[in-house]
Amino acid sequence: MKIIPDKNILLFKSCLVSTEYPGIESSTKYIFDQLGVEYIIDHEQSCCSGLGYYSDVFDQTSTTLIAARNFYVTKKNNAKNIAVMCATCYAINKKSVKLLNKNNEFRERINNVFEESSMKEMKYEKGSLNPTDNIFHVVEIFFNKKKEISKHVKIDLSNFKIATHHACHYCKVHYEDTIEGFRNPRMLDELVESLGVKTIDWYNTKINTCGAGFRQRFANKPISMKVTGDKLLELNEQNVDILIHMCPNCQMQFDRYQPYLSKELGVDFNIFHLNITQLIALAIGGDPYKTVGIQTHTFSIEPLIKRISEDTI
Amino acid sequence: MDVDNTFNIQFTIIFIYLFYVNLDLCDLMKVDRIKNNPLKLAKKILHDLKASENMGLLRCVQCGMCTSSCPGAKNSGYNPRDMVKRVLEGDESIINDEEIWNCFYCYTCHSVCPVGNSPSEVNQILRQTAIDKGIVKDKVGPFAVYGDSFLDIGIGAIPKSFFMELNEDIEGWLDLKSELEEIRGELGLGPITIPNESIKEVNTLLKKVGFNKRIEKMK
Repeated sequence: MKIIPDKNILLFKSCLVSTEYPGIESSTKYIFDQLGVEYIIDHEQSCCSGLGYYSDVFDQTSTTLIAARNFYVTKKNNAKNIAVMCATCYAINKKSVKLLNKNNEFRERINNVFEESSMKEMKYEKGSLNPTDNIFHVVEIFFNKKKEISKHVKIDLSNFKIATHHACHYCKVHYEDTIEGFRNPRMLDELVESLGVKTIDWYNTKINTCGAGFRQRFANKPISMKVTGDKLLELNEQNVDILIHMCPNCQMQFDRYQPYLSKELGVDFNIFHLNITQLIALAIGGDPYKTVGIQTHTFSIEPLIKRISEDTI
Repeated sequence: MDVDNTFNIQFTIIFIYLFYVNLDLCDLMKVDRIKNNPLKLAKKILHDLKASENMGLLRCVQCGMCTSSCPGAKNSGYNPRDMVKRVLEGDESIINDEEIWNCFYCYTCHSVCPVGNSPSEVNQILRQTAIDKGIVKDKVGPFAVYGDSFLDIGIGAIPKSFFMELNEDIEGWLDLKSELEEIRGELGLGPITIPNESIKEVNTLLKKVGFNKRIEKMK
């Protein structure tokens, strides 16, 4: 298995985390601080362009140029590793490192653009990053520390029925690097188990996409909602209380549209949507508002917090 | 009058005959062209930067794993197995096919393919080809402003044209946007935006590779 770092990490900012669920970022920082993971954030890092890339707006050259600039920001901070909070940032950055390392002609072209733009310090040196050993999802770092996380648990969540939604752009794009499986992914299940709760594990729609489909949510809403609805219907039949996410786009699709789908399908969905970082932060004592950031959720997390405090009393 | 009419009818018959013969000839020429260079489109796709290294496009055995696991195929006329078949036959009409716009880019096909092909990436490259031809402005036009916001602030934003619908579907979504800075403050987080100097760098670099022109062509 690949070696997962706990220092020299640039925590890579994500546009959807920043603007939709900033609690994912504050939860990640909270857990990293509790576990002693060393990281830095640099506001000079730009967005990865992934939403544009997968909406067909960004071509590969433009996206990799942006990625190479962000790799320079990483290097400038003496960081060797990038840890992302969004599955699409993961797919995009890995793809760009692979291309820059393997395609000499393309790397030359990118480096020429830096040279001609008076930014020659940003030139990418072949092999300076390794796609497998330097690009991670923060969940992998948590997974590597799950025994330690268990020791920090302060809240008993065992009364909740929990299911997991493993993000496609983490599991399926660079599947050769995915830890704990991609056909029946178990990374999130094992992390939840380290908090003292057994998940429902496999369910029929477990590996189905969230349905956002980039352009589909906006340009093709009926089929996008159909895919999201199918998964919610199965989870509802299984009486799941919480669905665990690892990508802000999936989280947005389920949390933001659950009330809409309840109306559309005439089914009263009462599933809480939390990112794994938010669940861990909550379990190890993070404040629901000041750390976990539940105030930006559409389907309110307050009843969940209330149930936890009742259980604790 | 009668003579004229007869002449007209005969002329029409000859015209129709020639029309069909021509069509036949066109078809024959087409088949011939495909036979001469059937893999032109497939090779173009394999050489595209968006294609994964060693993508197994030419190894496709038409097993249908992709289609059976595809959310687009389940809910629309999109059929990734058939798309790949047409690519391998050199059938360029696939570029104009509306159905390719129903792929979710979820990469399920890519992850289950027994020969390492990636219908998802084939699809992305076909869509890029359609964009380069300028034939799908109706499809990409609404998303082009994402590129504008990237040039302006170094962050892609959900196009404003979708804001009202999002706000209709999601209660309180725009209110949340107006409270965002305050909430980020409560969470001890820094600014959403990147420094002006960084925005300038991103803008300069993207313009250098003609990204701004690409965006304008999409609209």
